[in-house]
Amino acid sequence: MSYTYEIQTKARSLLESKQVDCVIGYEIGPRGRTRPAFIYQPEEVERLVWNQACTHNLTIYLKEQLDPQQSGRLKTKEQTPRHAAVVVKACDSRAVNVLLAENHFGREQLHVIGVVCDGIHEGAGEVGNQRSVRQFPAADPPQFQARCQRCIERVPVVFDTFIGERPSNQKSGMYENVLDDLDCLQAMTPTERTDFWLSQFDRCIRCYACRQACPMCSCPTCLYERDDSLWVGMGIGLNEKRTFHLGRAFHLAGRCIGCDECERVCPMDIPISLLNRRLIQEVETVFGYRAGMAQVPPPFVTVLSDR
Amino acid sequence: MKMTAPEGLAVWLDRLAQEVNLIAPREIDGVLLYRPVRNSGEIVWEFTRPLLSIKEAFFPATERLLTIEKIGQQIKLTETLPKGEQVIFGVRPCDARGIKMLEALFTDTEPSDPYFTQRRENTTLIGLACRTMGATCFCTSLGGAPDDPGDMDVMLYEVENGFVIQVMTEKGQALLSRFSLETDDISENESEFRASYLCEQAERIVIPEMNAWAVKFDDPYWEQVSERCLSCRICAYVCPTCRCFDVRDEDLLSGNGHNQSERIRCWDSCAREAYRRIAGGHNPRQAKGQRLRNRFLCKFDYYPRQSALGTAACTGCGRCIDACPVNIDITEVMQHIVEVSQ
Amino acid sequence: MILSECKNGHNPLVPYLGKLVKVRDLASEIKLFSVEMLDGGREALGSYFPGQFAFLSAFGVGEAPFGIASTPRRSSTLDFAVNRLGSVTNELHLLGEGDFVGVRGPLGNWFPMDEFKGKNLIVLGGGIGGAPLRPVIQTVLDNRQNYGHFTILWAARHPSLLVFTDEYDEWRSAPDTRLHLTVDQPDAVWDHNVGLITELLEKVSPSPEDAVSITCGPPVMIYYVNKVLDKLGFKPEQNYVTLEARMHCGVGKCGRCNLGEKLVCVDGPVFSMADVGKLSESFL
Repeated sequence: MSYTYEIQTKARSLLESKQVDCVIGYEIGPRGRTRPAFIYQPEEVERLVWNQACTHNLTIYLKEQLDPQQSGRLKTKEQTPRHAAVVVKACDSRAVNVLLAENHFGREQLHVIGVVCDGIHEGAGEVGNQRSVRQFPAADPPQFQARCQRCIERVPVVFDTFIGERPSNQKSGMYENVLDDLDCLQAMTPTERTDFWLSQFDRCIRCYACRQACPMCSCPTCLYERDDSLWVGMGIGLNEKRTFHLGRAFHLAGRCIGCDECERVCPMDIPISLLNRRLIQEVETVFGYRAGMAQVPPPFVTVLSDR
Repeated sequence: MKMTAPEGLAVWLDRLAQEVNLIAPREIDGVLLYRPVRNSGEIVWEFTRPLLSIKEAFFPATERLLTIEKIGQQIKLTETLPKGEQVIFGVRPCDARGIKMLEALFTDTEPSDPYFTQRRENTTLIGLACRTMGATCFCTSLGGAPDDPGDMDVMLYEVENGFVIQVMTEKGQALLSRFSLETDDISENESEFRASYLCEQAERIVIPEMNAWAVKFDDPYWEQVSERCLSCRICAYVCPTCRCFDVRDEDLLSGNGHNQSERIRCWDSCAREAYRRIAGGHNPRQAKGQRLRNRFLCKFDYYPRQSALGTAACTGCGRCIDACPVNIDITEVMQHIVEVSQ
Repeated sequence: MILSECKNGHNPLVPYLGKLVKVRDLASEIKLFSVEMLDGGREALGSYFPGQFAFLSAFGVGEAPFGIASTPRRSSTLDFAVNRLGSVTNELHLLGEGDFVGVRGPLGNWFPMDEFKGKNLIVLGGGIGGAPLRPVIQTVLDNRQNYGHFTILWAARHPSLLVFTDEYDEWRSAPDTRLHLTVDQPDAVWDHNVGLITELLEKVSPSPEDAVSITCGPPVMIYYVNKVLDKLGFKPEQNYVTLEARMHCGVGKCGRCNLGEKLVCVDGPVFSMADVGKLSESFL
């Protein structure tokens, strides 16, 4: 039985029994690109798919779906809390735990459809390889994304429905390879590292796609986008961009789950995740803490009791 | 018509780069952008289109409008208009068309914006015709063409032994006279050449009429298609014709004891949540569907009416389709509008 | 000596310099700034009409649009009522007499006072919305014989938020002019009407015959007032409003203030409700 079929079946049952108002999953668009889908009617579940281009971290949509007071919706706001189901991979499932630990919504509002993902392909979510200098055809066989190559969870850490089989062995060997970029970074002198990061931030256009694609970046008004320029100016200059990226990385320390979506969505190919993973490495070393493995607040976060 | 060999063109570009700010497609850490080049060796020749349009060279992401100096009780304002000649090489027809569309608002609609207008006057466009259309290109559906020289000062067509040159404006002629380029005459005349220049064209798509867009303004479609929208700014920033900007005063560090600030304007996007939020908190476009609807209607209905443009403000370059992280596709939206307006 | 190297007439984005010659408290958190233009700025600004607005610069922070609350006939300075709410207005409230601001204007369209001649006028102002209506009132009073019955409904959430309280006597005592005040929440000394402006409007119940209404206030107020006017028999063409929107350039370039295809800075801020009705996008 394919994962697609299982997801569709589960979605239909959840919607028909009105356990959820919405199932957030993946569909394939007319150009063949996999993209997020929001299914509200049981008749529509056939839109849902599972494939190795399911790159998006769908947990970014949970706050909007489950707490409509927080963000406007064209539909009338309802009084009762909404319920939603979301399809997650191992990495995404850790985001669920972080969001729950930070009280963004209640566990009872959520039905997690956890999928044992076999890896997502490089170039997923794109039409051709338009960003590169020349249009390359997709690699044959397709490469897996870097985050998949270094994935150690493999299996969702929180779920209500489990789709797939636990792998009998952990992937080995690849894990060491992918730590290379962090090692390269650490091998640089501080000056080299500064130059490297500044040259990366220079290309940034402050589109904020990285922030918008991150489930953990959920501040109602971002520190770096205030109308009064309190912490950083509005300009798209190097000083401002450095402040934004470094500041955001620190705000994510101990909260980032390394899904790499920030890097995938960046139109300028800035290695944003590398910065976040450097801090993940620090937090793991110093605090022995890995974000999202359980529903507990990260070391640097104090959670107030109200939402 | 005239033709030049690649070596001759390279030498010419090297000389140009010495004298003016030469902007051309360049690879920066694997990303193709229109950027200043120091010599022809830095130019990339084979590409569909760079990630950002040439809009940056006329309407920079951040631009200083004036400086403000507080000297004791006095205030000194200094207007900072752009200076300096620029030549942009390797311009695709869609990008040149985009500049024309921006001109319709910034220059041709009163009051004229002096910053954009000055940069336009200071710039010469050297186009490079496309040989094929990209997977997401649809310029031909909007009255453009991959080999359209109409908005260039000089147009180049790549052929087997070099580049055919077509001078389109006096400004283009002046540049070629100022920096002489080694050329050979070719036997074909212009129309023969254009007929023989092969460019693979994509199938055309139906563009909705301007009046069709607002017919079903409250269509629930907008809420549906916007659900996956991240409310980032990518589509507006890569677009050759999006022109929303924010204006603010920012402090300048000044060592002479004067209190200095600059008034700057920066790119902005109507897709972001706080775009229309006023002090006090009221936001008439709180919902994503409202913002996304505004973006598309502005492109095809509002901007053409607010400016002297009169036709859709889209060049069909397809950048937004490639760049959107969640595959919100302008051609799908257009198809829906066509369907519901029938 | 004030220095400005800008050729203001050519650059629509560069302000003229102005000096604050008077700053007084108008209401709670609302100040009235009287600005004297400098360096030929007054001549460059030229004539201006009720309903128009200008951008005031709090140098170092930014600019924001404000309705011009004065008429050239009565005032050599330009008056602006500023509610302390955001970064620009906070900075403006820190300024005092003798300080400098920037002014870009006059911008936008204006109330067609000539078309209103001979008509009965009903002016409805809510809170600081009264500021752009003050020049309308002053124009009517200064040309009283040109207009019919004049009814002013003036409202605020609380008496401390009513604006131009020191001018009420002048308004009341003009011929054939009625002033009705109301607040949502009275204080200990309030002895006028209590209730929403919509309730007051129903009570006053002006006749729509040969009449024109002009409303300014929060979007929600404009919406509900016009619903009542509708009920009273006013046609949309008879009802005028001045709308606000977030603006950054004021000259139709930055694209931000649009309501559908119309730009509030260029096609407004004054609209008739008939025009507003044609807009696909709601101002709410």
